[in-house]
Amino acid sequence: MISKALQRNFYGWMLVLPFVLTLLVFFVFALIRTVSYSFTDYDLFSPANFVGFDNFINLLNDELFLRATINTVTFSLVVTVIQTVLALGLAVLLNSKIKGKTFFRTAFYVPSILSSASVTLIFIWIYQKNGFLNGFISQIVESTPYIVSAILCFFILQTVQVIHHRFIGLPTRFFDPLLAIISLFITVVMVYITNRTGLITSTPMAISMNWLGSRDDFGPMPVTLWAITIQNIYTTVPTIMLLFLAGLQTIPSDLYEAAEIDGANKWQQLRHITVPQLAPVTFVVVTLSIIGTLQMFDQVALLGTSSPLESRITLAYYVYHQAFSDSGTPQIGVSSAAALILGALTLVIVFIQNKFGVKEKS
Amino acid sequence: MKHATQIKSIPDTYYKRRRLAKTAWVYSALLLIAITTLGTFAIAFMASLKDNALSEPTNFNFGQVRPSNWVGALNLGLAGNNAPLFGGFAPGADISFEITYAVSDDDSFATPVIKIPRRRPGTGMAAALTTNYAADYAIVTSPVLIEQQDNVNYTLKRGVKKDFLKGKSATWRFSVKYQGEGPVIDTLPLDITTPRSQMLIDSTLDPSRFERRGRVASWVNMSPGLIGYVFRSYVRVWNESVSLETGQSLFLSWTSNSFFIALAKVLLTVVIACTAGYAMARMSFIGARFLFLLMIFSMTIPGQVTFISNYEIFNALGILNTPWAVITMLVASGQVLIMKQFFEKFPRELEEAAIVDGASPLAILVHVFLPLAKPALASIIILGFQGAWNDFFWPMVVLTSPADVYTLPVGLLSLRNAYGVAGDWSLILAGSFLTTIPVLVVFIIFQRHFTGNNIGSAVKG
Repeated sequence: MISKALQRNFYGWMLVLPFVLTLLVFFVFALIRTVSYSFTDYDLFSPANFVGFDNFINLLNDELFLRATINTVTFSLVVTVIQTVLALGLAVLLNSKIKGKTFFRTAFYVPSILSSASVTLIFIWIYQKNGFLNGFISQIVESTPYIVSAILCFFILQTVQVIHHRFIGLPTRFFDPLLAIISLFITVVMVYITNRTGLITSTPMAISMNWLGSRDDFGPMPVTLWAITIQNIYTTVPTIMLLFLAGLQTIPSDLYEAAEIDGANKWQQLRHITVPQLAPVTFVVVTLSIIGTLQMFDQVALLGTSSPLESRITLAYYVYHQAFSDSGTPQIGVSSAAALILGALTLVIVFIQNKFGVKEKS
Repeated sequence: MKHATQIKSIPDTYYKRRRLAKTAWVYSALLLIAITTLGTFAIAFMASLKDNALSEPTNFNFGQVRPSNWVGALNLGLAGNNAPLFGGFAPGADISFEITYAVSDDDSFATPVIKIPRRRPGTGMAAALTTNYAADYAIVTSPVLIEQQDNVNYTLKRGVKKDFLKGKSATWRFSVKYQGEGPVIDTLPLDITTPRSQMLIDSTLDPSRFERRGRVASWVNMSPGLIGYVFRSYVRVWNESVSLETGQSLFLSWTSNSFFIALAKVLLTVVIACTAGYAMARMSFIGARFLFLLMIFSMTIPGQVTFISNYEIFNALGILNTPWAVITMLVASGQVLIMKQFFEKFPRELEEAAIVDGASPLAILVHVFLPLAKPALASIIILGFQGAWNDFFWPMVVLTSPADVYTLPVGLLSLRNAYGVAGDWSLILAGSFLTTIPVLVVFIIFQRHFTGNNIGSAVKG
């Protein structure tokens, strides 16, 4: 029996050996070295001297580091919240009983499979001062008269129709889907006519907003990071949507049937059935999303010198920047200390999220 | 609601129509979202075809999408180098070209001045290597007036301002010939100068741009061939970024590096994930629980925390700037987890018979479990390929010089640094799109492994 158990242990360890080796060398050993470097003034070339907590103290006095920390945490929270909500909405929409779901699922997923390098470059082009986004916004602003009159027209038509329906005794709600289609159709025709006859005119506009190169803040984050936020959401929402979609398919349909009998509307069903039932998936999604966004690096590196360092820097980039910046000697000590803070921050935020945020069991 | 009681029964069709209308709204919403996601790529792709991706960003009616130019480019490529697709300027070339100008009725025509300028093609590293100029071999025949017309409507463009005018037009024809013997030259630039009031309204091939306030119509290449014209940036990204030492296309090196690294990484991942996943799922050995916790811990720690030590390891081994530094730096925790969770689902009886027969664990894994694990294997292979292909941070750290050793994402960064300042975004976008092709192909072939429920079940555990 003893030899059996020994044998089992031996085989088990033989099979995990390749994995354990990589884990020990590239993770455990590396982590220990990072800890030891963080207490020295190591620079890759000359021997390291022990400096105690100097690196950590210096970091707390370094404005760029503080900026990077604030940027990272804010970015992580903003992106996680927005993309979780959007992905849930998209999953619910895609989960409705319609044909051709596979097509939409595939189409939505494309941004998620492409490399962050490619997508970031495409977005940097979109965000250029004379780029597509500013051109697009200019056109929207230019057509404000049309948009405003279209919205007015739509609501007037809808109101008239709904009042008529109520008057003849039909239980029609204000956003009735059928009447809305009719209102929309008439609105489009009206706007086309006003455009052709020149009843409403627009003046050319040129918006040239500085998305990437600006030093300004918008709310809690630099404008540049907001631009990256949009790109990050664009590429990550599809992945999360798929996870939610898989979760939605496990919710028993009799829950909804029971709710319908009790007279719960769609919104109440979403709040009281879908969201609680999805809690295990949401927990995973939020945790993965926090870990992912806290290490945001690629976009910052690809932005390069076209944006000021302080309006794009994140902790992950700060760590790299201290170690391999183009100018000066590698500050491995400082870099390691910052890396440890990044690692600790990740653990703390994940812990707080598990403790007070979305729970695995609702 | 008072009125609702007045009608005793609401007809069935009332609800049926509403349900249909609602479905229509859902479809419209889905379609709108699909247009937003795919449209972003579509507009960027269109822009990558333009001569200058930043000119008139919302205008998508430009030379490269007009069939008349496709025909022109094809014929010109044929005349210049007997190459309808890629064009060029070779000995024996005799390229005939027509240009039509318009002026207002009280103005008179001036004969256009035609010149083959001595211009370096592009802005990249290839420009530094250019030794042959079309200008040294080309002779231009003087333009012959072949047609005149009255009552012509034309548009006078001055920046964003457009004036719709009426006047007369004149068409000239000239040819560009290759004089004597010499090398085949890729690009044949062309400049045609006229007075400001004389407007170019038609030509065999639309000009690339106007210079000097509309006086000079300029062609980057007047014998481009079809692909050379429509996909000029793509041809450029391939040809123009070359190694200064070997003269070889860098983009080609990056592509082969990326393929080699991704495939080797996938192979290693599969071996590690299968063996470790199997052992952790089916065998109880001392330390298994601790190993599991360590694995989860390693997944939460960012790569930036451990990269310095790993950099030093590869530096000490002397394999920085080789593909091996990227391939072997592999902690496959995520993939091990997927395989472990997949193997856990199988019933105990599956392996018991084999154990009784005295089969070793490795034999059981290979002969019993792996044949059943195809879906999970497909997932880790495909996602592993995608991950390795798109990987950016670690290759950027260990692959620094020479530029031949980069992978595609790192290469894109160098393109962005080299061409971004000059504003040459057509080329950067073209590079981005070329980079995405392999992953897109894998996605289209294996899309159910991407969007199927495997990923979901792996995460849900």
